[in-house]
Amino acid sequence: MKRKVLGLVLSIAMVSAMMAGCTSKTPATEAPATEPKATEAAKDETTPAADTQADDTQASGGDYKFSIIVKSYQSSYWQAAVKGVEEKAAELGVTVSCTGPNAESDIADQVNMLNSAINEAPDGIGLAACDQDACLDALQTAMDKGIPVVCFDSGIPDAPAGSVYSTIATDNYGAGATAAENLYAGLKDKIANAAEPVRVGEVNQDSTSESITSRGLGFIDKFSELASADGKTVAVIGNEYYVNNCKAAGDEASADIIIEVAVPAQTTVELCATEASVILNKADTIGVFGSNQVSAEGILTANENLSVLGSDPETSVLAAGFDAGSVIKGAIAEGTMFGAVTQSPLAMGMKTVEVLVDIANGNSVQDVPTEGYWYNADTMEDASIAPNLYD
Amino acid sequence: MNKNTSGAVTQQKSIISKLGGQKFIVLLVVIVLFAFFSIVSSDFRKYSTVLSILDYSYYIVLMSIGVTFPLITGGVDLSIGTGLICYSLAGGYLVVHGGWPVAAGMAVSILFGMLIGTMNGVLIAIMKLPPFLATLCGSMITRGLGSILAKGYGISWPNAAAEGGWFRGIFKMKAGGTNIPIGFLWIIILVILMSIVLNHTKIGRYIISIGSNKEAASLSGINVTFYHIMAYVISGFFAGLASIAYSAIFSTVQPGTGAGFELEAIGGAIIGGVSATGGAGSIGGSLIGVFVICLLKTGLPYIGLQANWQQIITGLVLITAVLVDNFKKRKPK
Repeated sequence: MKRKVLGLVLSIAMVSAMMAGCTSKTPATEAPATEPKATEAAKDETTPAADTQADDTQASGGDYKFSIIVKSYQSSYWQAAVKGVEEKAAELGVTVSCTGPNAESDIADQVNMLNSAINEAPDGIGLAACDQDACLDALQTAMDKGIPVVCFDSGIPDAPAGSVYSTIATDNYGAGATAAENLYAGLKDKIANAAEPVRVGEVNQDSTSESITSRGLGFIDKFSELASADGKTVAVIGNEYYVNNCKAAGDEASADIIIEVAVPAQTTVELCATEASVILNKADTIGVFGSNQVSAEGILTANENLSVLGSDPETSVLAAGFDAGSVIKGAIAEGTMFGAVTQSPLAMGMKTVEVLVDIANGNSVQDVPTEGYWYNADTMEDASIAPNLYD
Repeated sequence: MNKNTSGAVTQQKSIISKLGGQKFIVLLVVIVLFAFFSIVSSDFRKYSTVLSILDYSYYIVLMSIGVTFPLITGGVDLSIGTGLICYSLAGGYLVVHGGWPVAAGMAVSILFGMLIGTMNGVLIAIMKLPPFLATLCGSMITRGLGSILAKGYGISWPNAAAEGGWFRGIFKMKAGGTNIPIGFLWIIILVILMSIVLNHTKIGRYIISIGSNKEAASLSGINVTFYHIMAYVISGFFAGLASIAYSAIFSTVQPGTGAGFELEAIGGAIIGGVSATGGAGSIGGSLIGVFVICLLKTGLPYIGLQANWQQIITGLVLITAVLVDNFKKRKPK
């Protein structure tokens, strides 16, 4: 008995030592690998711009100093946002200092950063809050001290009235519509020539979150609008929420185009894949849209066994995705996925600086919805798109 | 694997026949469900659908093989669902961001599973925490830990075409354009192997005896504490294996997910005849039970049922299974 307990304790110690080894090693190898890259990249972009536009600086009004706080520095999404901030700052000749916690979950760290930024009394603060509620006190302090705050990427709905001057975030309804426009363009001929009704699927991870439902409805409404403009009738079937909340649900029996909306019982990739399989298995399906990374990957997972997706509408089903990530980018590059909509951290970063300068100049500002960008195999390397495609 | 577990030292015969009965009934249910969905939906009766059902079942079956052991002791392991995601994220992070070979990442996933299993076992067998509570905490810890280890980002293990993508072939072989669900072969082998472990080895017999009568097991000189812990280590080990199956079948592992997976594995085991109060059960039964759940999960969308109805029906099937279990136990008395 003693021996066995000892053995057990030793093996626990061994395994935990291994795990400890792994975990302590990773940040050490990770940190130097990414951080210099981020700053170097930013430097490359900013220094020449700063040199050439030094003259504009004085013209555009003042040496404003802004603090920008992102959610974290780890992902390429935020690196793209910072790049946008620094490019715009160089263009407008203002000084920005960008900070952010190690991970998006380090809420307390971010609040500390926000408080120190307030103490430095900049001309404005750009904040992508990790947590909707954690920053409320700091926002009050900022307002008391007269420092304007602009939120980007994520809004703070309960912010003290008057503390947040503007919120710059993705227009999800518009982003869904962008997917519809591009998927419709790819399917237009097929729809025009179809003798029988055709089916377009939409896989949404849920029917509850604001971002997902807006994208889903944006897609449905835009697709219906474009089809009606071409003289086709559309019916929306499937998940009740989307059927009831889209602009026109139509009549399934007489429709030329059926938009079938699937929502899995839980937001797991394998349930999204099952729902996608059901749609992809139907012989009249010509296109499908996955409204976030999980559902778009669910469509790709379903296709592993079905192999019906491709880039030619005559022989295959066209799939549109959302967001980026290595799996979706890979599928688009090899032609399995027709294209996808990505959010625009780069533009969000630029817009943030623009709005901060506007405020500092005494202009009134409003909330700014940023666009989703469509990308496909041909455009994903473009300079305007590539920085927005985070892994 | 056909040989059934008889927990109690007494009343062996009746339980054997009854369990065989339940396994047979559940197998019939699987066949009837498959036939029903095939008749109602022409899309369902396709090779690709069978492939998908198998693909999406591996990780649940593996968890279910493992969790059968704690269930037989009269306990439960709720940490395997979020644990699976955590182990996959940990191993995958080292492979994708740390440059570790895939095999090393897989080893980390399995060892991590065994570590959490050991932790659960120690809390339950030595610290005397109720299994429900101890493993619920394990579930919370692994959920948070997975997100921290992966720094909050989804991890995509190397895809089939990439370097290190060979491991995806463990479960799905491509031969001349056709996908062959080779993973099912490994599952069958593991089920046979673990049936032997459960029924014909010291560790298996002792684990059963803990479930049927812990006092008696202890009095007869069995090191109850050790074997009790081992039940959870086995569960953790299989959660580790399940994490590899999950990483191999699905493209991206998302932190924060996994809650609920364990219920499908536990539900499958109970449908398959593992007694909800411990002391009896078989690995083969758990396998068949999981397929009831997997068939419902895949088939119900094919017959056009909306998500909420799918959950209701799955719940009703589980209730039926537990009622059958109760009824079966009451009958001989």
